[in-house]
Formats: sequence, structure tokens, C-alpha cells
Amino acid sequence: MFNLTKLEHTLRLKPHLLSLSLEEAVKGELESLFVDKVIANLGLCISVYDIESIDGGFIFANEGAPTYTVKFRLIIFLPYVGEIISAKLKESNSNGLRLTLGFFDDIYIPELLMPEPSRCKPDADHKNQVIWAWFFNDEEYFIDGQDEIRFRVQNVKFPEIPKEQIGTKPFAPMKITGSLVSDGGLGPVSWWV
Amino acid sequence: MKILQENAGQLTNFEVLDFLKSRGAAKDPTKVLAPIAPSEFKVYDYLVQSVAKSQTRESIAKFVAECKPYKLTKSEIANIINIRPSSVVEIDPLIENLDSRLGESVEDLVQLVVEVFPPSPDEKKAEGTPELDESKGEDTADGSKAGDIPDESNFDDE
Repeated sequence: MFNLTKLEHTLRLKPHLLSLSLEEAVKGELESLFVDKVIANLGLCISVYDIESIDGGFIFANEGAPTYTVKFRLIIFLPYVGEIISAKLKESNSNGLRLTLGFFDDIYIPELLMPEPSRCKPDADHKNQVIWAWFFNDEEYFIDGQDEIRFRVQNVKFPEIPKEQIGTKPFAPMKITGSLVSDGGLGPVSWWV
Repeated sequence: MKILQENAGQLTNFEVLDFLKSRGAAKDPTKVLAPIAPSEFKVYDYLVQSVAKSQTRESIAKFVAECKPYKLTKSEIANIINIRPSSVVEIDPLIENLDSRLGESVEDLVQLVVEVFPPSPDEKKAEGTPELDESKGEDTADGSKAGDIPDESNFDDE
């Protein structure tokens, strides 16, 4: 799920950070720049792992702040296609399921990638939601929100930033599509344990 | 911003959990030191509820060494370490072409997984989860982990 990525970035350290040691100030800047942000085609940045080198420190003309070129490593969240991940159910509607990892919410399991055959029933408790059930060997297995759901990563998309706001849904810069189709082992953990 | 090396090494969930722990994350929000961002905390929350919390550096190294005869790819090994399947049906989606590559020895592999990674008390539905033993102890010399894991040097806490 996680990997390390080495990056190089040029940043300016504003003078109010002069009281901190160089490494602390640089680390703070990197964290505010990258942590919890999605870098296109790279993944979601979780944390700054370490700083390899800090070069520079020159002050360019017309500026009041030194510029540093920093080489560092970030912990990136980017599941690869085919990986099996355990996540919790966030919502389930007629299009499929939406799962969450706590720090990442945009995991969708579309209807086509549900275990065959599945059917959905309207949920009495929540207005727009449905409960999906899998029919296997004449028995009905429900996908309720009780335990973790294991799915296989089908693909990871980085949609482009739209120029205008589309509706009220916040833009998701990274979307994972998952699948529950398998010979066994995927879906809520309670089905198999 | 320049990307120097896109995938410099795969990390198992345990390693990320270990890293966050050494930065000062903990279960209790009031004891968390400033350096941990709320988003990192959410990652920590997720990992602490997963199987990674009962793993140790030594057990992972041991597993990697002992599963060599099964000829698994790095990503499959990482997957198994992250998910910890305890039965054949759970390990099935993790490995491609399971029957043709492993055949009967799948059960041995599952047995190995259960031996090296004992189930945490949560999974046995018992009370009281002991925190992961802070035995980051020996840096294992076994470089052949799942991915090129860099030296886990001590982090300088601010």
C-alpha cells in the first residue's frame, strides 16, 4: 500500500522561521506542502520520511528569504493493481459500495464488480442506502457495515482538476476502483473466517 | 518539484506504523506530541486496527526468509504480511495462479503465516490488547525484505 518516493523541491524559508534549526524549518515547510495532499500519478502523501540533503541557502535579489533545494523521501499511499486491502464500509447505494480507510475515502466498488450474483435491497434504516446481498449456494450473505471488507484494487485513477465546480460533491483527486469478484476470500471478513 | 525516484521501496503496513510510532503517535490524542498531523493520525488509527499492530521487525524478517521456497513475488509477500490470511480461502485472492504454482503446499504456507504472525488478541475476541512490544531491537541484517527497505535509523525527534 505504501511506498517511499524520493523527491527534490526548491523552497523558500520565510524569515519568521529563523528561530528554528534549518532541518526543523525545512521539515515543517515540506510537511505543510505535501502531507495529506495527492500528487498526480504518484499517490497520497502520508508523511515526510527523511531529508537526504539540503543545498543552497542563497538569497536571490529582491527577496528576503533564502532558497533551498531539498532532497527528501515521502511515504506515499498508492496501492498497486491487484493488491488486496481491508477497508470499512462507508456507504452503499444502488451504484455499488463506497469504502473508507479512515485517511482515504474514495474507494468505490461498482455494481459490476460485486460478487456474482448480488442483489440490493433498500435499507430500512437509511433513506438513500441499500443493503447488498450475495446469493451463493442458496444462501444470502449480507454486506453490512459490521466488519472489514477485503477487496482487490482494480485500478487507481487521478482525474483532472475540473475548471468549474461540478455540483456539490467535493472533487476527488484520487479514486480507487475495487473489485469483489474472486474465487473466495474477498468481501466482508466474516464471510470467510 | 522534481520526482527523483518514483518507487524507491515498498513499505509494509508495519513499517509505516513503526515510523509513525517513533514520531510520537499514540492511541490517546492528548498524549500526541505536536509533530503528528491529524491526517497522519488517521493513518495511524487505521494501521493500529489492522494486523500490523501485532507484528515485529523480527517476525517479518523471519517470514520473508522462510517463505523463499514458495517463490512468491515481492508484492505477494507484502500483501500476505499486510493481510495475514489464516486460511486457504483467504490466501487465494492474494496469489496468482495459486494451484499451478503452489498446489498442495498452500496449506503449508498458510500454516507458516499463522505460526510466524500469531493472531492478535482482538482477532481472538479477547479483552485487552497489549500494545506492540517496543522491541524495534535488532536491525535485521536480512536485506531481502519485501522491497528495498532503507536503514531504519533512529529518528531525531525535535
